[in-house]
Amino acid sequence: MGKVIVITSGKGGVGKTTSTANLGTALAMIRKTVVMVDADIGLRNLDVVMGLESRVVYTSMDVIEKRCDLDKALVKDRRVEDLMLLAASQRNRKDDIKPEQMQVICEKLKQEYDFVLVDSPAGIEQGFHNAAAGADEAIIITTPDVSAIRDADRIIGLLQHQGIESISLVLNRLSPTLVKDGNMMSKNDVLDHLNIDLLGVVPEDTGVIASTNRGVPLVHNDGSPGAAAYMRIARRMTGQRVPIPEMREENFMSNLLNWFSRNK
Amino acid sequence: MNFRSLFTRKSKSSSIATQRLQLVLTQDRFEVGEDSMKKLQIELTEVLAKYFEFTMNSVKMSLKREGNSYVLMADFPYNQSNKLR
Repeated sequence: MGKVIVITSGKGGVGKTTSTANLGTALAMIRKTVVMVDADIGLRNLDVVMGLESRVVYTSMDVIEKRCDLDKALVKDRRVEDLMLLAASQRNRKDDIKPEQMQVICEKLKQEYDFVLVDSPAGIEQGFHNAAAGADEAIIITTPDVSAIRDADRIIGLLQHQGIESISLVLNRLSPTLVKDGNMMSKNDVLDHLNIDLLGVVPEDTGVIASTNRGVPLVHNDGSPGAAAYMRIARRMTGQRVPIPEMREENFMSNLLNWFSRNK
Repeated sequence: MNFRSLFTRKSKSSSIATQRLQLVLTQDRFEVGEDSMKKLQIELTEVLAKYFEFTMNSVKMSLKREGNSYVLMADFPYNQSNKLR
């Protein structure tokens, strides 16, 4: 029996969908069976970030309204074994689905998969409650800025209220250079305020833009610093002890190495 | 540190962010406004000031999460010169 993990943030644009796509792919790469569920009804994006948009036929709405079986609605990723996507309906609204219905889908999926990753919509309304309804654990994504951390704090409170005990943090888009110059809050600044377990730190990586353009998650490109960070997080999610390295500042040499690894 | 920062004495933006974050989180968690927090801080300091010497603006108050509950923290920086009255 697997577990259901909701990936959420409160604030939009901090990297929930990018993180879901990369962690899902990374977990499948280390031989876990994974299904990613897009819970952003009406504003679905996970299919596009995964590059699977042309293959989506059915959505979670079709499953709920019994137009197709759950298994049939899953889109298989062809690049990695055992990686599936359950897309959200683009024609419906967030309140067309009830938390109990989402819970049923998650329950069924975790019988068959090691990891069920639910990509939550931004906000704290119905969409968020639907996404969190079937979750055993939560991963909070935040960037090192005041508004994202404030929203993350609110979300943590709501998840705890719902009874989710295991809540961990992924600090996204940290720039070691800006931290060093005193123009970005550091990992410790953020942890001091949120007071939850740190699952990992993902450095700012411009490769994400090209990867999203192509519909190929960053972790397929093993030379990039972002990919390495996501791979480490995935290993931690399977219970392995993988230390969180101190971020190195980008310099000419590291940029050059990245450039080579990206263009090979 | 860059070359320009040697000549400009401006607070680092990250420490400004940390302070602002502290304030909004305490307000959100506490559901009290800045005015009430300031008032509480002044009153607490007044009580302690009967025994110790503090400068009002060195006192920091915050609400921290400990597991599922919150702990109100008030830091009254004390140094050797703040001798017991």
